[in-house]
Amino acid sequence: MPNDKEPDHVFEINRRNFFKYTSASIAAAAAVSAGTVFEVPSLVSTAAAAEATGDPIHIGFLGALSGPDAGWGLPGLTGNQIFIDRINAEGGLLVGETRHPLKMFAFDDEATGSKALQGAKQLVLENDVKFISAIGGNPADATHPFLTKKKVIYASLISTDIKPDRPYLIAGGDVTPRIDMLRPFYHRFVNPKLKRWAVISQDDTIGLTSQAWEVGSALSDGWDVVYDEHYALETTDFAPVVSAMLATNPEVVSLNLSYPTFVVQIIEQLFLQGYKGLISANYLDTESILQKVPKEYLEGATDSFPLFDDPWWGKPSWQNDFVEEWNARYGPGGPEDVHREITGIDWDHVITLKVWAEGVKEAKTLDPDRVLETLRSQDSIPTILGPGKMRGKEMWGIDNMVSPPIPINEVRDGTKRIQAVVRFEDWFENRKEEIIKVVDSKGQMHYQR
Amino acid sequence: MDSALFLQTIINSIAAGSVYAVIAVGLAMAFGVMKMANFAHGEFYMVGAYVVYFFYALNGWPFPLAVLMAIPIVAALGVVTERLIFRPTQSNVLAGFMATAGLALILQVLVGQTWGVGLMRSVPTPYMGAADIMGAKIGWQRVLIVPAAMVMLTALWFFLFKVKQGKALRACAQDPDTARLQGIGINRMTMLAMAISGASAGMAGALMAPIQPVTPYMGHSVILTAFIVVVMGGMESIAGAVLASFILGIIHTFVTTLSDAVTAQMVGVACMAIILVVRPQGLLGRVKA
Repeated sequence: MPNDKEPDHVFEINRRNFFKYTSASIAAAAAVSAGTVFEVPSLVSTAAAAEATGDPIHIGFLGALSGPDAGWGLPGLTGNQIFIDRINAEGGLLVGETRHPLKMFAFDDEATGSKALQGAKQLVLENDVKFISAIGGNPADATHPFLTKKKVIYASLISTDIKPDRPYLIAGGDVTPRIDMLRPFYHRFVNPKLKRWAVISQDDTIGLTSQAWEVGSALSDGWDVVYDEHYALETTDFAPVVSAMLATNPEVVSLNLSYPTFVVQIIEQLFLQGYKGLISANYLDTESILQKVPKEYLEGATDSFPLFDDPWWGKPSWQNDFVEEWNARYGPGGPEDVHREITGIDWDHVITLKVWAEGVKEAKTLDPDRVLETLRSQDSIPTILGPGKMRGKEMWGIDNMVSPPIPINEVRDGTKRIQAVVRFEDWFENRKEEIIKVVDSKGQMHYQR
Repeated sequence: MDSALFLQTIINSIAAGSVYAVIAVGLAMAFGVMKMANFAHGEFYMVGAYVVYFFYALNGWPFPLAVLMAIPIVAALGVVTERLIFRPTQSNVLAGFMATAGLALILQVLVGQTWGVGLMRSVPTPYMGAADIMGAKIGWQRVLIVPAAMVMLTALWFFLFKVKQGKALRACAQDPDTARLQGIGINRMTMLAMAISGASAGMAGALMAPIQPVTPYMGHSVILTAFIVVVMGGMESIAGAVLASFILGIIHTFVTTLSDAVTAQMVGVACMAIILVVRPQGLLGRVKA
């Protein structure tokens, strides 16, 4: 790590050499840290946070940094570190009257429960982290008894991880499954003549739950749900899956929470098998998809992970600044070049980290109970997607879901562009009973899983 | 299932069967000659896909040239594997099997370290669009696999039955001791078998790179299928492997269309078990004297 005591101009030189010659970038640090916690490299030394007077506050990152699920984890380190460095550049996180620099420690849980529990214990017992950014899923199931006992706030990307017996688990920065619930409403509004809705996703826990909420919402918005199936995670050939779906003659095909890898393959098959209707998905990685289908084919396809350089946000804006900072730091030629484009996951983890930081500032304490209590009592919490609230009791049994406004994008000339921003709570209030009835009938309510 | 879906599923089955055949034939051949199973065969397939990713997607080479590059590169990998793993462990089948399992992990890590993990490598589709066969649609990239498989299998047949080296290879597979007495170099033949095995896996991976997500772990999904095909067809029978490939292609595709891929795998394994009960030597395998 950079020497905290060096003056800034020396630090600049060392920083370049450090990354160039030791390859201690985020990915490299993750790669050499197998089975142990590592401190994530920072471009802003804690000493540079000149105003900071308190002890450093440690933040944990517990997710897959290697293996097939690393795409949900590694990018999160970049966004979180940018956020942390911004806080530190301001002098640190204000807790009461004192500013504390933030430091991030990461552990590669390889998306397995046992590793995640090992990582959670190391992060809490050895590194004294006060907040953990995570991906969720099986690792959330494995770690929540320990983290509940230790009262450490764990932020999952997946709202379906929220349950009443996990009081310190928050989620929802990632807008799943609310966006999957809102897309039928959006398509109904934009294309009122369409009737036939087909939906498909993988057969894991989040796919099953998220799709149940979407089907309930589609039915409540008057769609005929002509296809409602799940494909196995082990599927490698999507030709038969898509053939079966298209046999029901859908007018809108929704891929729900299908993982980006699957989305590319399914959309390619939709194109090859001659599907002409609308495509709707939780997340469209247009760059990858457009390597498989012509640009014209994707025109009008809908998702809800916005691009942060979308003109919708304005300039300057938090989103635009984030993109510029990310590109300068992690983009081509940057000091920590990660050899890829910025993705939605780069900022996805930041949403809950920022919400937690806002909670700490408002509560003037790191006490998790008071932080959560304060967040729940706020009418409006600043998030990177706009003002949000803590909600979720009706869906998950506890108000631990961060709920920012939800952007809806359409692909225009090969690029996603925001078309509307919808506030979920207002929409949900009018139809929640009907939707919950469907989710309940599918056995996907929190008390049934 | 209406007639349109039935026809589409038949077309999908033929495409799937062709892929299985190209992958499994190499595995069957290597087993036939060496009597050892190469657990890293799926990773050979993965390396073939990455060769196309490197030359075609990253460096802009023409797709056919990138596929042609995959064949010698993965064949060379097969030769190295034979020389460093199979030959030293030829007296211990289990050691060879475990060593190739280790090789599979090493190849995964090497590729992951070189090109990253977690984020799939997207290989652009070189031949966008679909062929229309009586209303059923199949992507040109998949269409390409069928003649490629036929050409490869025909060339292999010609080599094995018409070329002296190929006949020697068959002799080694049938009776290594007698082949040795005839002056055939067993080590040379096993090396040749692994080269052909690697070449076929590399070609299959290269052709599938624009269709499947290219990841360091993509070999996992094919190795189980390849073993089922080889066992079902008869462990040392190349013709059996081809026949089993198309049978399994039909089973997997129809069951996936009607149910899902996990059920399809289960039905495939169940069919293999039934065949082994009825014909323990596999569909076209020989009974040992």
